[in-house]
This record gives sequence, structure tokens and C-alpha cells, in this order.
Amino acid sequence: MRLSKETALSHARKDLADRLGIPESEITVESVEDVDFPDASLGAPIEDEMAAQIITSGWKICLQAKGSTYEYRADENQIRLRSFNGSNKIIFGD
Amino acid sequence: MNRQNFWIHLMLAAILIVAAAILGQLRRWQSDIERFKPTTANKPTKQNRTKKDREPEVLVRFRSDVSLSEIKKIAVKLNDIVEDEIESVKNLVAIDDLDGLSAEQVAEEYRKMADLVLYAEPNYEISIDFEKPQLTPSNELLPNDPLFVGQWALNNTGQTGGTPGADIRALKAWQKTKGSRKVVVAVLDSGVDYKHLDLISNIWIRPDDIPPYEDEELGLINDIYGFNAVDNLADPMDENGHGTHCAGIIGAEGNNEIGIAGVNWQVEIMPLKFLGRNGSGTTKDAIEAINYVIDRKQKGLNIRIINASWGSHIYSKALEDAIRAAGEAGILFVAAAGNNSSDNDKFPHYPASYNLPNIISVAALDRNDNLASFSNYGFKTVHIAAPGKDIISTWLDDDFKEASGTSMATPHVSGVAALIASLDPEITVEKLKKKLLDSVDKLDSLKDRIKSGGRINASKALEN
Repeated sequence: MRLSKETALSHARKDLADRLGIPESEITVESVEDVDFPDASLGAPIEDEMAAQIITSGWKICLQAKGSTYEYRADENQIRLRSFNGSNKIIFGD
Repeated sequence: MNRQNFWIHLMLAAILIVAAAILGQLRRWQSDIERFKPTTANKPTKQNRTKKDREPEVLVRFRSDVSLSEIKKIAVKLNDIVEDEIESVKNLVAIDDLDGLSAEQVAEEYRKMADLVLYAEPNYEISIDFEKPQLTPSNELLPNDPLFVGQWALNNTGQTGGTPGADIRALKAWQKTKGSRKVVVAVLDSGVDYKHLDLISNIWIRPDDIPPYEDEELGLINDIYGFNAVDNLADPMDENGHGTHCAGIIGAEGNNEIGIAGVNWQVEIMPLKFLGRNGSGTTKDAIEAINYVIDRKQKGLNIRIINASWGSHIYSKALEDAIRAAGEAGILFVAAAGNNSSDNDKFPHYPASYNLPNIISVAALDRNDNLASFSNYGFKTVHIAAPGKDIISTWLDDDFKEASGTSMATPHVSGVAALIASLDPEITVEKLKKKLLDSVDKLDSLKDRIKSGGRINASKALEN
């Protein structure tokens, strides 16, 4: 399934709600930007990950909840949560 | 039937057979005479066709901020029509002229709109002429691949708004060699779309005299087109597109009237898959694939180069050892310097930053010979630069696409290494690397930023 900006945002909101154990209504969208990421890991590699060095167009999604900001990065294939508890996570796509 | 009648019938039959044979031969002679009669009646030429039969076509690429509706308005204003949009290249359209101008005149009209137009060229290759256009002497080495006009990396005439000559000097190199199918380049990546029309002729297929791959853990793998380390299978079909793009830069078939020309018009591309659908993969799978390449090399294949358009900041001793082993097996490892706009001397990017004699680390240039804004650099650890911004190449499903990254710069270097190996099959890895680095065109933009201080020059690299 190819992701759009809207579906990526929807997945990100749901992921954060599940992760923090809060309803989605308590999450606010700080910003959604079109971004060119440096590589196929969207500049958010997980441990032991090698990535194609191709400039990859996608979206940087910043969500706010419980007084903190959470950064998601997505393109048409994948969504990642950047630096959550010290590490990057792939939440959609493999 | 008595004996006398038998002989009479036999003679009559023989006479009939000979007569039929003579008649048949006479008809063939008559047919041949007709065929070779001088005639021009069925030979359409540019001269005897009217404007109604053929409108001049021009390929025009507009700047990215010009919308299609604006393009159409501009065309109408010039009494032209937009005949086709070339989807694979943003804002590239085929224009038909309606007021009797030559293709060159039409192209010139668009070139004058420099604030809107990147380039405009007569579209000879997709014209409906039965005869090919007369090539001027300077055009004789141009391949007939229709998207070659956009391949500034190989022949930069300023056609895409860049600096003429800011290219790898492919045309001059092709006077010496256009590559060889005896040279195998392993594309260690997301696999390759080995059925792509512009690649299929240059895809490696395991020869009958090389046994299937056998691994202690994986068992026997019938590696017809290469190896898939993601699933530990034989099928390295690309699901991402990145590996297919790199493969096209190295060796899309040249002069086949399809798509683009690779640095090598002919070569053998060995598809290897360790990056998945997202374009990322694990160190372990990269090592598995390198082990496969070394095994195939040891079984007798002439694999000279591994193209590695990927990386990360994670150091792995095991990966370093695998690449060292590839070097000991006679394989050059060409690696992307990375896209973080950072200094690899301070923040290493692996595998490009492993200090191994068989590694070449590659930075990316734009069409004006400037270091691309995203490209990593490193006076001590990045060796050479090559075009890597807005590079058109093959993509999944017979498509073509522009992409940017040190990923795209790397296969230009691998491609030139393969050209060298086509002329000098026994060249050592050390000499191959030295030839590439010693033959660069020094650039002010790279001074103190990368080790060789220059852009790869395919023509000079092929000199003795």
C-alpha cells in the first residue's frame, strides 16, 4: 500500500496514542512538512540498518502530547518514529 | 506394367521434374531482377514528404515551477501544441509545431525563454522519418537512446541549464570502448529489475559451466540472475527501484533506441538484493551478498567491481572484513560517501570510510561541477566525485526516473572502472583504483574537500 501525507499522519497519530496509552483526541498536530530526507531510512536509521543513499521525498510530522513533541518521518513506503526513548523505530513498512 | 512402359514413365517423370525446377529457377531470377530494380517509389525521404506528413517535434523541458497548463498556454502562443508529456522526466514535453518552422527553429524559440525553459532540443529519434537524420560529425558518437539528451552527466552541453563540459567525458571515452560483456559488475543493492527493456541485454546470467551457488547454511541456490540475501533466495528482483537506477547508470544498453545509455553500452550487471522494499537492509545481509560475489569470482566469473550505493554511520568489523576479502579476490568496492552534507573525516560513513585499499569513496556533483549540497566530503577519506544530482536512469516496470544522491554518483565511477577493465582485463585492483584517481579533472569546488580534488574523467581514465 502506498502512503499519502494524510494516511501517514493518520497512522502516526494512532501509533502515538497506542504508544502513550492516550486517546487520539489528546494529540495535536504541530506541523506536517514536505521534506527531502538524505537517504532511504529517512535519516532515521534503526540499529544495524544500511540505507540507499538516495534523496527521498517525504513528510516530517510533528505531534504533541503530554507536553512533549514527537517526530515522525514518512514517505510513500514507510513511517518512522524518530528518537523515541533514545532510538528510532519503524512503525509502518519493513 | 511391362519393363518398356516402366522406363518410358520414369523418363517422363524425370523430364517433368527438371522442367519444374527450371521454371522455378526462372521465376526466382525474375523476382530477384524485380527486387533489385532501381526505384524510389517506395522509399519515403525527408525531401519528398510534405509538411502535412510530418510536423517537426521538439523536446522541451520547462523549469519545475512551470505548471502543465502554463506550458500548454506557452505552446499555443507559439502556434504549437503539446503532443506528449514525458512522465519520467518532470516538465519534459514533446512539442509539435503548427506553423512550418524547422525543429531547430522551434527549439530556438523555446531556448529564448531561459527563465521558463531548462532546455529544448529537436527530437530526431522519435520523429516519424523513415530515414535517420544525417548526423553531423560531432553527433556521430551520440547514442540513439531518446532520453540521452537529458543525460548531462555523460554529455553536458548546458542542455539542462548546467555548465557545458561538466560531465564524465563519456563521448570521448566511447571512442576507445563502449564496454564489454566479459566484465561483470555486481550491483549490491535492492536487486535489479532484470526484465527492464533497457537492461535485459546486459544482465548477467549464470553460465552453464558455473555451478549453482552452494552455502553451508543456505544450501543449494539456483542463482540464475544473481542472489537475494533478504530472503536467501535466488531471485534478486528489485521491489524498490534504487538498484535498478544504479544498474542503468552503469550499463543500460546503449544505442538501442530505448531510454538512456549507460556508461557502458554493454557490460554484465549482476543483480544482488540486500536492501528491501524500503531501500534499507542489514549489515548481515550485505555480508551474505558479498560472500556470494566472492564465491562466484572464485568459481571463475570475471567480477571486477561491486557497486555499493548505500551506507550508514555504523561501524562493522565483519563488513569491513568481508570487503577486504573481496579486495583480496580482485574486486574493487565503489561506495557512496553519504548524503548528510558532512565531513567523513570527522563523521565516518560506512562502508565508504573503511580504510581499505579496494574501496573508492564517491561524492556527488551537480550539473555545474559543484559539490552537491547534500553530498558528504572528506579531504582524507572521500576519494573522487561524480555527477549525482538529477540523474535520469532506469526504474521499475520499464520506467525511467530522475534521482539524486551519492547513490547516483557511485555507479558513474563503477561504470568507468568497468570501461577500464574492458580494455585491460587483467588490471589489478590497485592499478584500477589508481587509474581512476589519477585521471580526474581537478575542480576548484573540490579543492581541500576530497582526496583527488576532482571529478572522474572516463576518457582520461582509459588512456595508458
